[in-house]
Amino acid sequence: MTKEQSALINKVLFYIVIVIIGVYLLFPFYWAINSSLKTEAQLQMTPATFIPRSPDTNVISPTFQNYAAVFQNERFRGGLVNSAVVAVATTVIALSVGAFAAFALGKLRFRGKKPSLYLILSMTMFPQVAVLTGLYAVIRTLGLPAIPSMILSYMLFTLPFTVWVLTAFFQGLPTEIMQSAQVDGATPFQTFYLILLPLTAPALVTTGLLAFINAWNEYLFALTFTTIEPNARTVPVVIALFTGQISRQEPFGEIMAAAVVVTIPLIILVLIFQRKIMEGLTAGAVKG
Amino acid sequence: MAATSAPAPKKKKGTGDLAKQEERLAYILLVPTLVILFIIAFYPLGTVFANSLTDRRFASADPVEFVGLDNYINLLSLTVKELPQAVDEETGQPMVDPETGEPVYVTAIDVLPRDPRRYRDLSQFSLFGNRYVLGATDRDFVRSIGDTLRFTFFTIILETVIGLGIALVVNSKFKGRGVMRTIMLVPWAIPTAVSSRMWEYMFNSTRTGFFNVVFQMAGLGNGQIPFLVDQAWQLPAMIAIDVWKTTPFMALLLLAGLQLIPRELYEAADVDGAGKVRQFFSVTLPLLQPTIAVALVFRTLDAVRVFDLFQIVLTKTRYSMASFAYYQLIDSQAMGYSSASSVIIFAMITVFAIFYIRLLGVSDD
Repeated sequence: MTKEQSALINKVLFYIVIVIIGVYLLFPFYWAINSSLKTEAQLQMTPATFIPRSPDTNVISPTFQNYAAVFQNERFRGGLVNSAVVAVATTVIALSVGAFAAFALGKLRFRGKKPSLYLILSMTMFPQVAVLTGLYAVIRTLGLPAIPSMILSYMLFTLPFTVWVLTAFFQGLPTEIMQSAQVDGATPFQTFYLILLPLTAPALVTTGLLAFINAWNEYLFALTFTTIEPNARTVPVVIALFTGQISRQEPFGEIMAAAVVVTIPLIILVLIFQRKIMEGLTAGAVKG
Repeated sequence: MAATSAPAPKKKKGTGDLAKQEERLAYILLVPTLVILFIIAFYPLGTVFANSLTDRRFASADPVEFVGLDNYINLLSLTVKELPQAVDEETGQPMVDPETGEPVYVTAIDVLPRDPRRYRDLSQFSLFGNRYVLGATDRDFVRSIGDTLRFTFFTIILETVIGLGIALVVNSKFKGRGVMRTIMLVPWAIPTAVSSRMWEYMFNSTRTGFFNVVFQMAGLGNGQIPFLVDQAWQLPAMIAIDVWKTTPFMALLLLAGLQLIPRELYEAADVDGAGKVRQFFSVTLPLLQPTIAVALVFRTLDAVRVFDLFQIVLTKTRYSMASFAYYQLIDSQAMGYSSASSVIIFAMITVFAIFYIRLLGVSDD
């Protein structure tokens, strides 16, 4: 075997491995799309077909009736709206409140800074389930409806992370900027607001994206707090509890259609912001 | 915010004043974050600890009584008892199964203590020719600890090994690398609720389910394997779902770590004539170790509190520690008892978290 031949074989093998990885990662989506395009009768066919086929003639025949059904489903439509409201509000609040704290921790000198940093860092891995009963009691005492409850409680996993990543970002900004602004007579707060905050825009986008995705996907609090308020359910809860119009059996065609509908915006988000999301993930996990 | 932080008269100040002003501003900026975290984390955590010592019921007007460590004792009590061989009442001889010749033992209920707490049998095992039964006062919770730890152990090993493999492959330059990285983010980005239901359908217990079709094609099973109902299959199925969802994330973290390793090291190793395998063990692995360690601890913390997957796919047939706490609160309204189980999860995670902070360290300058 010549050198070129073995190089070629290596290359082919390499691409086979790549394809295997790709298929492994995407197959569940393919299966969901496949199933979402089947009628109830097609879903009952055994063995399950890899493309929607007619039970009688075996001709390829996809249907969009499941998609029509989920979009007629008020719970699902309401879930999309609730999720959007909760995720956007969570992101905005976490970023604005978090940026203040991060500026203090990253650029100002004060006593108690190190304990505050330790506190925030330890909060980034705070287990939600540990406060479940206590938090539910707090919410009932405050008399908050489910949607504000979710927004408030999602600060538990968005805020510490936002503060932590933004603090690191502020620390990385040159102190000279602040000093020259102070020499020009700007107060520290003006320095923060007019000069440093615009510079942190890239970090805000990164942390904002992660806060949004995490809030969009959250399940435990959403499930618990909407127990007595089903109209406030977010998409993950709606999909987890999905029952069809005729709830004789679990309507998997519709569930898969709903799953595909929810996944598409996230795929678009990932396509556009791949680099930004990666930055955020590694900032949270790997200290550069 | 801006109004409260507006500084006092703008005259010339000494450095001491400036430092004080800066310190005051810092505290004002930190207040909103600390207040929110107090309301949603510290205060509720305090009440969870307090409630775990009571018999408080959720949304109930019943008087609350302090029960000490009762909840914890009930959650965690274990006992091992020897099972004596059953005695035939007519002959007075030890009973033996007439078909297999195996000895017949008394039922577990007969030997497990009932007072002051009632133990139920968790499992039985043989040791040195004797038969023993392991009893627990709360079978479901003790089982959930075992299941959660097994789940954690296996998912983390598989995710690290497969994730490292994928990271190494994707780290080499090839056409479509960007596409591959995007594909890797997708399983991470979708809600666990959604991926759980996708997999639930693939695990369907008839040949309408993907895995039963494939298993039957491969000559395994009869196409009717109840993956999500059969005790033996439940945990492997959960692990398979989690590995699919989280391995790409692990791979991306490790990929970021791989890219921090200087190219020159590999070039130097090439010059020294070290093969690819040798390079992996003497350059890649040691330099990737910090990244692997952080990713491992991160994953451990996540896996120990696993909730979505277990609650959605297995509901009340089998619990993770977190889904146990959830059902105790919502279904049984047992707030005190649920709180105690939460505290146990919290304690386990804290141990890992302290380890993690030690590992990372905090810089304060």
